[in-house]
Amino acid sequence: MATQHSRAAARLMISPAVLLLLGWMLIPLGMTIYFSLLRYNLLMPGNNPYVGWENYKYFLTDPAFSAAIFNTLALVGGVLLITVVGGILLGLLLDQPMWGQGIVRILVIAPFFVMPTVSALVWKNMFMNPVNGLFAYLAQFLGLEPFDFLAQAPLMSIIGIVSWQWLPFATLILLTAMQSLDREQLEAAEMDGAGPFNRFFYIVLPHLARAVTVVVLIQTIFLLSVFAEILVTTNGGPGNASTNLTYLVYAESLLRFDVGTGSAGGVVAIVLANIVAIFLMRMIGKNLEA
Amino acid sequence: MGRITLDKVTKSFGDIEVIPPLDLTIDEGEFVVFVGPSGCGKSTLLRLIAGLEDVSSGQIRIDRQDATHLPPAKRGLAMVFQSYALYPHMSVRKNIAFPLKMAGMDKAEQDKRVNYAAEVLNLSDYIDRKPGQLSGGQRQRVAIGRAIVREPAAFLFDEPLSNLDAALRVNMRLEISELHAKLKTTMVYVTHDQVEAMTMADKIVVLQAGRIEQVGSPLELYRAPRNRFVAGFIGSPKMNFITGAAAEAFGVHEIGVRPEHLQPSTESGMWKGTVGVGEHLGSDTFLHVHDTGLAETITVRASGEMALRHGDTIWLTPEADKIHKFDAAGLRVE
Repeated sequence: MATQHSRAAARLMISPAVLLLLGWMLIPLGMTIYFSLLRYNLLMPGNNPYVGWENYKYFLTDPAFSAAIFNTLALVGGVLLITVVGGILLGLLLDQPMWGQGIVRILVIAPFFVMPTVSALVWKNMFMNPVNGLFAYLAQFLGLEPFDFLAQAPLMSIIGIVSWQWLPFATLILLTAMQSLDREQLEAAEMDGAGPFNRFFYIVLPHLARAVTVVVLIQTIFLLSVFAEILVTTNGGPGNASTNLTYLVYAESLLRFDVGTGSAGGVVAIVLANIVAIFLMRMIGKNLEA
Repeated sequence: MGRITLDKVTKSFGDIEVIPPLDLTIDEGEFVVFVGPSGCGKSTLLRLIAGLEDVSSGQIRIDRQDATHLPPAKRGLAMVFQSYALYPHMSVRKNIAFPLKMAGMDKAEQDKRVNYAAEVLNLSDYIDRKPGQLSGGQRQRVAIGRAIVREPAAFLFDEPLSNLDAALRVNMRLEISELHAKLKTTMVYVTHDQVEAMTMADKIVVLQAGRIEQVGSPLELYRAPRNRFVAGFIGSPKMNFITGAAAEAFGVHEIGVRPEHLQPSTESGMWKGTVGVGEHLGSDTFLHVHDTGLAETITVRASGEMALRHGDTIWLTPEADKIHKFDAAGLRVE
């Protein structure tokens, strides 16, 4: 039990770090909120009058906004679904004793080390390109018409690319969790008459609940702000088909030079992220207790 | 139900033969204890019977049916693991009901059996808790409960008491013996603790390096150990082994005398020595006697009240009919 004195000393000593962090976060946040209330367009220099909620009204009624919200949620949900399910399956596969296990595991982790920009470019040019891409060659080899992924299914293509990047992360965490499962529990279940599927559903999956929670929470934070993959592949298009909230904010501020609306979009993104976070913590946060 | 026969069973891991050809019969309703030092293959043997390991050659028969290649669940055996292996995310009720659920039993029958097991094992008060909220002894009982609801042909116990503290271990030992008396089902129990083996078993199987050294009732093993290993392993404190002139006086290579079969005296006796450390247990005192010229230390059981101090001179006389004689190969000589 800390004494009164040592508690005061502890507060004093962590205060520089707390103050620095507060400044680090509050100043940009404050400026974003401040800009969001101004008419501030770089194409129209001059005084930036206070306009109240006008920027928000403009941003929220923009037809691109609802599309962006849908795309953001579809992107996050789609990638989470693919990486969690795929991660569990890959984890099960890699958990089997096999020759060259160490090397295979490193290979599986490799996509995670590729920069988002680079991996998106690799996918765009080497796989999905309708003329030179490997998928196009494959389609031609099979006598099919090459599919222009980024033009005809832009959001699905981006979900695929981002899933490819995050699958290793999910696999790694879920594999580690699988390896921490007590072998005797599986043997006990085997003696109790549970076949492979029942062992998976009744023993392995519940054991993985906590690891899945960690994967979902961490990935959600990063997936809400996917940007580079969209910028280098589809530029948010065609139309708004692959524009997510982050990209919309970028388009407002840096393509239309409208700092005010961009800032308003940033604030909306913060609110959305918090809503998602609250829902997630409510739904699955209890897995992290005890 | 519940007769298990091992016929020339062997087990190898790669090139290493863990269990050389081994024959053993476990009779119906018997409480059989596999005992031996760690690494002697007793757990492997149990896992072979359970079906968690495949035999390398030989045959396992359960109730006269060949079970050598049956999967574990089809053998009609239930096992209690050293770590209990409870399912941490399920309540006690669900843990106990799990084998029934896997067998596709209807809900009412499941409930009936679970409630009966909970009653037998005094678990009714904890039935809706998770294993994480239970003490070691309670978890042990849940693991046993999960085993008994299946009404198996035999129970297999893999060092079930080694994670419990000393007082609880004595308690659980009694409870398991009590359970055996009540259910009258075959039980196979693995332990490295010879006290557990002696107190619980109908039949003890002493193992060393995968070989069966001797099979018999606790008292048979105590009275007539077949070789030096069994003699040294069974009995606490350990038997004293004496070689040299004192053994040759009995016409053999080596003799063994248990501490409780030596008469200590302060005046006269067969062998003379100096008292070292005395372990006072109240009812008995175990004296470590040095400088006898027989062995480095001779342990002797004296009465608890015997007033001997460190450095005192003591005479020891073995009870003539309780001397075990061994030849140079370590085998018993009658």
